[in-house]
Amino acid sequence: MMELPATRAGNVARAVSATAILLFLAMPIVIILVTSFGADGIGTFPPKEYSTRWYEQMAAPGGNWATSIALSSLVAALTTVFSLILGVTAATALARGRLPLHAAVYGLVLAPLLIPQVVIALGLFLFFEPAGMLGSPLAIALGHTVLAAPIAILIMISTLRGIDERLEDAAASMGASRMTIARRITFPLATPGLIAAAVFSFITSFDEFFIAQFMSTPDTRTLPVLVFNALQFDVDPTVTAVSAVLIALAVVALALVALVRKLGGHRHEQQGVLPVEPLT
Amino acid sequence: MKTSAKRGHRSRIALVNAVPVTLFLLVLFVYPIVGVLSLSLEGDTGGFTLHWYTDALSGVNLSVLISTLRISAETAVLSLLVGFGLAHAIARMRPVFAALAMLIVVVPHFISALVRTYGWIIMLGEHGLINTLLTSVDAPGAPYSLLYNETGVVIGTTSVMLPYTVLILQGVMRGVDRRLLAAAAGFGAGRLTIFRRVYLPLVAPGVGTAGLLSFILCLGYYITPALMGGDKQTVVAALIDQQVMKQDQWNSAAAFGVILLLLTFAGLGVLGLAKLRRTKAHARRSSS
Repeated sequence: MMELPATRAGNVARAVSATAILLFLAMPIVIILVTSFGADGIGTFPPKEYSTRWYEQMAAPGGNWATSIALSSLVAALTTVFSLILGVTAATALARGRLPLHAAVYGLVLAPLLIPQVVIALGLFLFFEPAGMLGSPLAIALGHTVLAAPIAILIMISTLRGIDERLEDAAASMGASRMTIARRITFPLATPGLIAAAVFSFITSFDEFFIAQFMSTPDTRTLPVLVFNALQFDVDPTVTAVSAVLIALAVVALALVALVRKLGGHRHEQQGVLPVEPLT
Repeated sequence: MKTSAKRGHRSRIALVNAVPVTLFLLVLFVYPIVGVLSLSLEGDTGGFTLHWYTDALSGVNLSVLISTLRISAETAVLSLLVGFGLAHAIARMRPVFAALAMLIVVVPHFISALVRTYGWIIMLGEHGLINTLLTSVDAPGAPYSLLYNETGVVIGTTSVMLPYTVLILQGVMRGVDRRLLAAAAGFGAGRLTIFRRVYLPLVAPGVGTAGLLSFILCLGYYITPALMGGDKQTVVAALIDQQVMKQDQWNSAAAFGVILLLLTFAGLGVLGLAKLRRTKAHARRSSS
């Protein structure tokens, strides 16, 4: 309400409460980052002494943590490939074409983001268990794709909508073939969106807990499953270092997306990043 | 001629491109959920039964369902209140600060909920940061028990849902035509009246959407309640996990899954109806 005269007391109250809420959001993350460098046995804040021993323990080759980081990376890489294939094709159909049953396909694509994940996880468990595929990285990745593909599709839809189709028409009028247009015009313009879709698919899978929990076996536990077990049953201080690495991964991923968008000259608002947007 | 050829080509391309995602989701999303539904209606020795549902809606199971609904409602209300305050403040900040504030809202959303929950566990313990601070300022009754009870669960879950509410409310508040507020002030309305009679009705749809959405997302949420709740604070999703992983009671887990699904559909239905009504009202206004 900029037009109304603001009272000083109102301004102060608003600034204080906004700061408090922002601290509420940021504090847990700051606490983890600091605690991970603590030398104490269990997560205490602030630490009395600082060291990198938990990071060394996490990276120890052949250990539980290193194994599950490798598994999570493999699963996330597979998920990224699957989601990009589905993302590019589905977005082409939904953003560019005149698709019969457009609303039905769009609804189907959004549904996995709104249905409780535990139900999806249970369904996938019932699907893969009889096939003896529990614990298979391929099966976990296929499960993760159910959640990651919709996000990739939303990002690709907004990317394709942001590309001026007249550029493609102009190329066609000058005699460029469809392949040439796709390769020389559409693909370069869509690259920032593709990278964003890939990054978000990767972190969606790397951070996913529910599906991985239902589809894992004791020998094949992804990183979030291992973190969850460590937090629930035994407090292994290595978890702080692992958590700090997960934070760094998310920040690097977001910075990468922001950088690519800036270089790609995308001025329009970031879209399709949070699954809630189509609802509003 | 040329345009209609282009159009035909376009719908063919669209059809071909829609095939992979449709097939994928039918096989790995729709079919498995139908599997959950059919398992929930299947007796121990085959045949149709509603036994798993009556079981889910009685005794201890019912109390788990009720506490899930209560935690979801508490979280939705709290994240609405906190989210409204923050979104409102951001709307009045200078652009640089507003951008910084949005960054602090959005970045945590992409950091694993497990990690953020762990941060809360370290903070809320008896000797955690919050209690240390409160004890040092001699807050009455400190230290408080903020962990392994419903208070802890709601605090943790709210911090997970907050980015959603802030983003939705932020979008709605940006869309409010400030001239309406100035006009009301010009007619002599006080700040409170303007807020209550002009601003609130304009942002109400967003408030409803944000609240209902955080409620829906909470229903099936598990990580924070499982790690921050005590033995008594079981939620439905945790129960499903236990029944599948430890007790091999798949039918019962499936019945709970279907109940969650139905509650979600009910919530989404309310959202859809409200949106439809707004669209119709809008159409009437602009046609008259």
